Amino acid sequence: MATADPSADVDASAQGTREVADAPGSVWERATAAFDRWLADDEEGLSELVGVMTPVLWQVVRAYGLSHELAEDVVQSTWLALVRRQSSIIDSAAIGGWLTITARREAWRTAQVQHRADPTQDEDLAVHLPQQRSAESAAVERDGQDRLWAAVNALPERCRRLLRVVAFEHRPDYATLAVDLGMPVGSIGPTRGRCLAKLRVALIEAGDVDE
Amino acid sequence: MSEMSRERLLEVVRHVYDARDPMPEGLVERMQDAAAAEVSGLGLDLELMLLVEQLEGASVRGESATRRAAGTAYTLRFTLGEVDLLVRVAPGEGDGSRVDGWIAPAEEMTVRVLAADQPSRATAVAETGRFEFAGLPQGLLRLRFEPQDLSRPPFATPTFEI
Repeated sequence: MATADPSADVDASAQGTREVADAPGSVWERATAAFDRWLADDEEGLSELVGVMTPVLWQVVRAYGLSHELAEDVVQSTWLALVRRQSSIIDSAAIGGWLTITARREAWRTAQVQHRADPTQDEDLAVHLPQQRSAESAAVERDGQDRLWAAVNALPERCRRLLRVVAFEHRPDYATLAVDLGMPVGSIGPTRGRCLAKLRVALIEAGDVDE
Repeated sequence: MSEMSRERLLEVVRHVYDARDPMPEGLVERMQDAAAAEVSGLGLDLELMLLVEQLEGASVRGESATRRAAGTAYTLRFTLGEVDLLVRVAPGEGDGSRVDGWIAPAEEMTVRVLAADQPSRATAVAETGRFEFAGLPQGLLRLRFEPQDLSRPPFATPTFEI
């Protein structure tokens, strides 16, 4: 038996942070309720929908290796698309998926253009840069979090991208994921399983999860 | 791999990216402003239809519910500018009420049923201008129309009772 359960680290350090760490199912439910409120002519509903889903869209878009500036552009164009194409959303329960698919498609297009323009760019550079955090929380979190990060960051690039999208989405659409990642649709599930297995091994080696 | 450990691993992934690559300061506020500006910039604020006629014992907001308990169908007519909407409500027993609508002039649009405390339901308006919803629970509702033509803002009926 190893020392810690990774969720203990999650619980300890997630206190006071954003709601994005919530399970996608509950985020999707809040998004649907907010979308319905907006449809019923409550403009606060739109604000709430943007508040609930923007952190998720940020994570999904950043999985495509876009700079902060381009990622923000993609998130914004997703929200403008919602306003313009609301009539195409028949099932309000699917609003979370509609938003993440729209964001992923735009992120994928943007990444293609960017790579043609600047093929030498290191798409993961920004993610490797240390983030500014408060001294207090950093001191408490550093050990556990650095180990978790090291384990995730040591995964192959394709695994990192796939797991990042899958982690933040609720039942992601495999067909669009397959196109984005250049993989056959049938291999998304098995690849996800292999990537999770690799992560599990890395966490066990780091002493962060029970065998 | 068990479902539990898969969920935990994905939780770790969410957690590390949330901590290492959080969204920039003020992003939510900027996106809220951008979305609200797009709604008003495109003139997409919701417009309200007028109830102009009620036939066959229609029960509108404020009226006693005993009337619809009789189970007779009734028809409501709403207008907004050139748009004319007829709604026929057939109160049902166990399987809920039914709403049949005809809107003219017909154009490509989505129609939604909005009822308090329930998920919205939507369908496409047919080329003929017809649409229908079955199995609606009794209560107050509105119909909301969203033309695909973006030069036309969405519009909705006032609340009525079925």
